[in-house]
Amino acid sequence: MTDTHSAAGPLAGLRDLELADEKGQFCGKLLADLGADVIKIEPPGGEATRRAGPFLDDIPHPDRSLSFWYYNTSKRGITLAIETADGGRLFRELAIGADVILETSKPGRLASLGLDYEALARGNAGLVMCALTPFGQDGPWRDYATADLLHMAAGGEMASCGYDEADAPNAPPIAPGGGNAWHMGGHFAYMAIMAALVHRTVSGRGQYIDASIHEACALTTESAIANYVYRGETLLRQTGRHHAPGPSPRTQFLAKDGTYVCALVAGRLNPKYVQELAALFDAFGFAHDLADPKYRDAKAIAEATSHIIDDLVAGFIASHPAEAIYHAAQDRGFTWAAVRAPEDLLDDGHLRDRGFWKTVEHPELGRSFVYPGEAAIYNGTPWRISRRAPLLGEHNVEIFCGELGLSRGELSVLAESRVI
Amino acid sequence: MTDMKTTPPRRALDGIRVVDFSWVRAGPWATRWLGALGAEIIKIEWPESERGRLPSSTTPKGLEVNLNTSGNFNDTNVNKKSLTLNVRSPRGLEIVKRLIAKSDVVIENFSSRVLSKWGLGYPELAGIKPDIVYVSMSGYGHTGRNHHYTTFGPVAQAASGLTFLSGLPEKPPAGWGWSYMDDTGGMYGAMCALTGLYHRNMTGKGQHIDQSQMVSAVPLNGPALLDFTVNGRGSRRAGFPPGNRAHWPGTPLVGNYRGPTVAPHNAYRTHPGDYNDWCVIVCHSDEEWHRLVGVMGSPGWAGAETFATVAGRLEHQEAIDAGIEAWSLTLGKYELTERCQAAGVRAMPVQSAEDRVENDPQLRHRGMYFEMEHPALGRHKVQNAPFKLSETPAFNHAASPMIGEHTREIVEGLLGMSHEELRAGFDDGTFWPAKRARFAYMEDMLR
Repeated sequence: MTDTHSAAGPLAGLRDLELADEKGQFCGKLLADLGADVIKIEPPGGEATRRAGPFLDDIPHPDRSLSFWYYNTSKRGITLAIETADGGRLFRELAIGADVILETSKPGRLASLGLDYEALARGNAGLVMCALTPFGQDGPWRDYATADLLHMAAGGEMASCGYDEADAPNAPPIAPGGGNAWHMGGHFAYMAIMAALVHRTVSGRGQYIDASIHEACALTTESAIANYVYRGETLLRQTGRHHAPGPSPRTQFLAKDGTYVCALVAGRLNPKYVQELAALFDAFGFAHDLADPKYRDAKAIAEATSHIIDDLVAGFIASHPAEAIYHAAQDRGFTWAAVRAPEDLLDDGHLRDRGFWKTVEHPELGRSFVYPGEAAIYNGTPWRISRRAPLLGEHNVEIFCGELGLSRGELSVLAESRVI
Repeated sequence: MTDMKTTPPRRALDGIRVVDFSWVRAGPWATRWLGALGAEIIKIEWPESERGRLPSSTTPKGLEVNLNTSGNFNDTNVNKKSLTLNVRSPRGLEIVKRLIAKSDVVIENFSSRVLSKWGLGYPELAGIKPDIVYVSMSGYGHTGRNHHYTTFGPVAQAASGLTFLSGLPEKPPAGWGWSYMDDTGGMYGAMCALTGLYHRNMTGKGQHIDQSQMVSAVPLNGPALLDFTVNGRGSRRAGFPPGNRAHWPGTPLVGNYRGPTVAPHNAYRTHPGDYNDWCVIVCHSDEEWHRLVGVMGSPGWAGAETFATVAGRLEHQEAIDAGIEAWSLTLGKYELTERCQAAGVRAMPVQSAEDRVENDPQLRHRGMYFEMEHPALGRHKVQNAPFKLSETPAFNHAASPMIGEHTREIVEGLLGMSHEELRAGFDDGTFWPAKRARFAYMEDMLR
């Protein structure tokens, strides 16, 4: 385990029950890595997210999904068929001791099992329960089926992402990769849960939260809604840069090593910026004409924009490796970066300085692996992974016997009846 | 817990005061939500160094572009008060410290270490208010060798690996068409503030939280990173990223970090074929594929035996996608969505901003866009919270502030200074640059 013995996280002492698939596991990871005791409750046989690839050594197995590993760090895991009479009873017992329940089941399912908020809060007035679902608990699309791609379409992400015609003629809108619909929903759900918990510290009372992934995605396109509401504008998709009412100059340039550099130049070109560009080029011995006195004039610079961007900036970047340009440019105050593949980040000195990478032990494998860490450094209470994701049913004995007081015999009976 | 007999506050963060030094997008997006949740947000502004109100590309046509007419600023800064204050003057610094002594949270998104240089670093503020929750939101964070680097969303997205994961094979990365990490950086700022507040209320202890826009993006690539650190497989490989598909035909069968490796899984043109006339369709199983075939009217091509298995569909995506698009072009994207979903097929329209505001029946039902009156901009729709809290609903209660709109209220009301001190502060450049023209509401404030 990663340093479980030192200071506790900011959510230490908080207990969260998680009934969540891909839609909610990231929110649960945030709670768990920040110190909450998150008990992941999976159906017997395991949550569907255990079947998400890639797998360790490409061998599919419920305990080998790297996606499951990543999104379920620091949690404990039990199996329980909550739709059975015994399962429902045990879930209610767990709910009495819970501060938070995070669930992503189809709207109406928990109510049909008698496990809705009203029922569970009867024995626990401080309970905060968050349902994080594709469209929320009501409305015409409530029961629509989804996937990450569907949310990227309906939420507006795709309408803003794609290619310049010159880069990919006739290209469709391109959905951002990585499963970000679940991240967007998870961020807002986390915010709502924490707001309810802060409120509870004052009022003593919990509440129910109905959170919608579609709404979270629809809120996450920066100024697109304002461009429409205030200007009636529809925005163009452009390669690697902002959507815009009309075409804007490119910002992505291929470096010598085949990696792109994102260089925000257009809109910033003034005499001072041009001088700084000249100094950057000089430092690399790259020939240019920016010393010409005409570039002291803003109007002349505006007329030479295409030359400066398409000949000079593009030519400069093409003649050097991306990472070298990134650091040299940033050191001189340019807001530029290499367009790195995720694996390039392992070599990033800044992340190393922040202690970002975490070594997480997988004792059953006799191995440990490097995981990405946290978004922020808390100086009083650490945010960090405390353990690897639970194996299937790993904490059944610890929780059902140790906490709820079942005997091993009762546990065996429940397993044989497929309750756990 | 406090006495249960007291009346519960109406909103989750009633009674919480936030001193908000943030500007542009990420920080203001954070405090917007804390405001919707009921916190009093006091935005510290100075017109000479403003970046957020100006330049504005979202001022309605026909209105003068000035500090109070940016539409995007309005949407990003609802639920806040504005105090104009020259924090870089000794008098301004003293006043802001008095304000912080009466506050719960400080949020700032200046470049790393700027506030420390002004004498407003965490150690100083903890001296004034020991349990202060101090959230710094900067491009690279305050810790680490590149802390001085600067970001805009696209740069943070590029440096963190996010941009790389979006696009078509053999093409440049398509990336994100906006500052996703301004939106998301804002989320983390608000999340950190709430987490710090919860911990403070439970223990009485404040803290400093050093959040970085670039670093916050890296954990969003988790499975891709583990594929490398565990399996040694990087993302620079044939067929990746696979555009809207789960897998690019003719390349090795490797996961895509989005969802199951299935086909169909793509975007298709819809009638009448304009710029945003697209839908997406995904079939997670043979059964879902058979349902889609049924919705399409069971065309002959779709009955081919080779399409009956997921392996066959993955191999023959080009043919399947061409067949689906021939059908999808005959329907509008909303009609197509309704037909597919009624049959249990995963489909959604690609929606522009106009579609979301005007045409999305779900967002309309849920009240996502709500009109608010702004003194300079008039009545416009503003975006609401994506979550409904049963006891303490989050809602927008005030349009964005005109610059300095609440200076008198805060200076005289909250800080107990006299009206004469307020007027003197306007004359000596503490509350407004002495030589800069004042807005009419400022003259009213000074009467």
